[in-house]
Amino acid sequence: MIDPQASATASGIEPLIRMEEIHKWFGDNHVLRGVDLALEPGEVQVIIGPSGGGKSTLLRCTNLLERPTLGRVWFEGQDITDIRADLDAVRTRMGMVFQQFNLFPHMTAIRNITIALEKVLNLKGNEARDRAMEQLQHVGLEHKADAFPGQLSGGQQQRVAIARALAMKPTLMLFDEVTSALDPELVGEVLEVMRQLAEEGMTMMVVTHEMGFAREVGTWMMFVDGGVIAERGRPKEMFAKPDTERLQQFFSKVL
Amino acid sequence: MATAEAEIGIVREAPPDTRGRSSPVSAAALWLGIAAITFVLGGLIFVQLNYALSGRVLTRDCIDLGLTPDIEGAVGVCNIVEGLASSEMTTLLYGGIALGLVAIVLGFATYKRMDTIRRREQALTGAILGIQAVVLAGVILAFAGGNPDLFTKHFLNFARLTGYFPGAFLKALKNTVILAFVGEVGGVIIGLVLSIMVLSKRRAARAPARAYINFFRGTPLIWQLATVYFLLLFGFNIKLSAFTVGVIVFSVNTGAYAAEVFRAGIQSIERGQMEAARSLGMTYFQAMRFAIVPQAVRRVIPPLMNEFVILIKDTALVIVLGLLESEYELFTWARTGVSDTFNATFYTATALGYLSITLPLIYLVNKVEKRLRSGLVGIAGAGG
Repeated sequence: MIDPQASATASGIEPLIRMEEIHKWFGDNHVLRGVDLALEPGEVQVIIGPSGGGKSTLLRCTNLLERPTLGRVWFEGQDITDIRADLDAVRTRMGMVFQQFNLFPHMTAIRNITIALEKVLNLKGNEARDRAMEQLQHVGLEHKADAFPGQLSGGQQQRVAIARALAMKPTLMLFDEVTSALDPELVGEVLEVMRQLAEEGMTMMVVTHEMGFAREVGTWMMFVDGGVIAERGRPKEMFAKPDTERLQQFFSKVL
Repeated sequence: MATAEAEIGIVREAPPDTRGRSSPVSAAALWLGIAAITFVLGGLIFVQLNYALSGRVLTRDCIDLGLTPDIEGAVGVCNIVEGLASSEMTTLLYGGIALGLVAIVLGFATYKRMDTIRRREQALTGAILGIQAVVLAGVILAFAGGNPDLFTKHFLNFARLTGYFPGAFLKALKNTVILAFVGEVGGVIIGLVLSIMVLSKRRAARAPARAYINFFRGTPLIWQLATVYFLLLFGFNIKLSAFTVGVIVFSVNTGAYAAEVFRAGIQSIERGQMEAARSLGMTYFQAMRFAIVPQAVRRVIPPLMNEFVILIKDTALVIVLGLLESEYELFTWARTGVSDTFNATFYTATALGYLSITLPLIYLVNKVEKRLRSGLVGIAGAGG
């Protein structure tokens, strides 16, 4: 199979993230069956595919919320699957946003952001607050700083969750179906924040069902089905001319 | 809060009253039921108060029953018995039964045909009150027909508490609260440590905690008290007062139950909370401390308070240890009184003593539970 991404990383630029032969078993359920991936700084990797195909597991293997059963992950040149790697330190540079937002419900929006700045990055109270406000401004929610998650709409909660991850100043952002739990009218505001982020040059891995977003924002796209990468390439080319029958079938269902 | 509501567009307005109108038949059923229960319950209280407060003397009948003047509190016992057997009481009881039966028949016969919610509720409520009045009157009549003098003499002769009440009783009440409270605090600390061990992914850490919890939940508390006391005394040559051993065993035992409460509370927090905290670079313990435990604490307060209520009653079991007089808790106080006087009214007083602590607590638990439930709705709501 032609792998345009592999040839791109052969250009000599150090990839920011590289995953090699990733396998994951849950019990005797073989969810990922040998996945490779490499991403250079500033690239956006979009991951699509049917549910249960292993997309989210792949993302969660990236920051080792799930430890791959087999295979290696290099991040910023470091093998983070090495048992001696300091995962807590690694994760401060890899932001993650979840389908269910996962804001801390007992903290205000700004506290959700400052808590890790203070406790993990050891920033002073006012430093943390300034940085958090900056990020809330970025997602257009500085006026909601003192609101609790329960008082915000789903779209607002998700934007706070994005601000929370960005405040750590990560070099890679992981998005796990971040619009799937939102009412349709709230999807746009979240996608807009992500689009803006991509334009600013953030390196991103995005699991999504939003095909329009995948086509326009993705540098690369992969179609994950049955635990393997069934097809990969430039999004526009894949949408225009899917090579495999599986992807054609998938498009016929979702488009 | 107000701004958030305005934004989501909630309009606050009282709903209209849709229960509809009353009717003579349904109102009759309701008032008959109320009258019946008033005759029985109100009559009992009224007659007993009247007999107790009207300065009566020992009657011939009472002396015939063996309530001789040399028995302490004989007049009080006699008043209770005479009140129960009095013609006023009998009239009120049979009157209550008659009214209750009419309410039952009227209510159950008509409620299905009632055409408004208010009418149906009135008919049903009347019938339900009628049932309660009839059952209660039947029980009182049956009691009065037995040997109420014997029971009253042994269990309701409050004059026999003289010399033990209120001084020693209040001290015992205080000791009961101390035993339970210190035991609960110790139990919470032990339980917190155990729950963290039980939640470990490593079997080596889980196994001893699990064994501890299962052992102390699986054996009788009364056996634990006796055994630990002698284990310390004979096995380890440690001589502790029975009261101290009580506190230790209550802590150790409550720890096992509190561990399960904490475990359930922590596990009830969505997995995503831990993942979000870890993805921000927090360590496991930071995530626990800042994200998980603060949320879990609210959820475990009601079950922990319930454990406390149970422990208050279980302190009675220290009776198997030889407490010093200064250490007497309610039940030991009662047993001492009973063996001194051969009168079980001390146990009745003890039950009232336990209630004086547990009832406010139960009320408080229900209130806290209600508030937390409504509070959690606010947090979980406004999702997608």
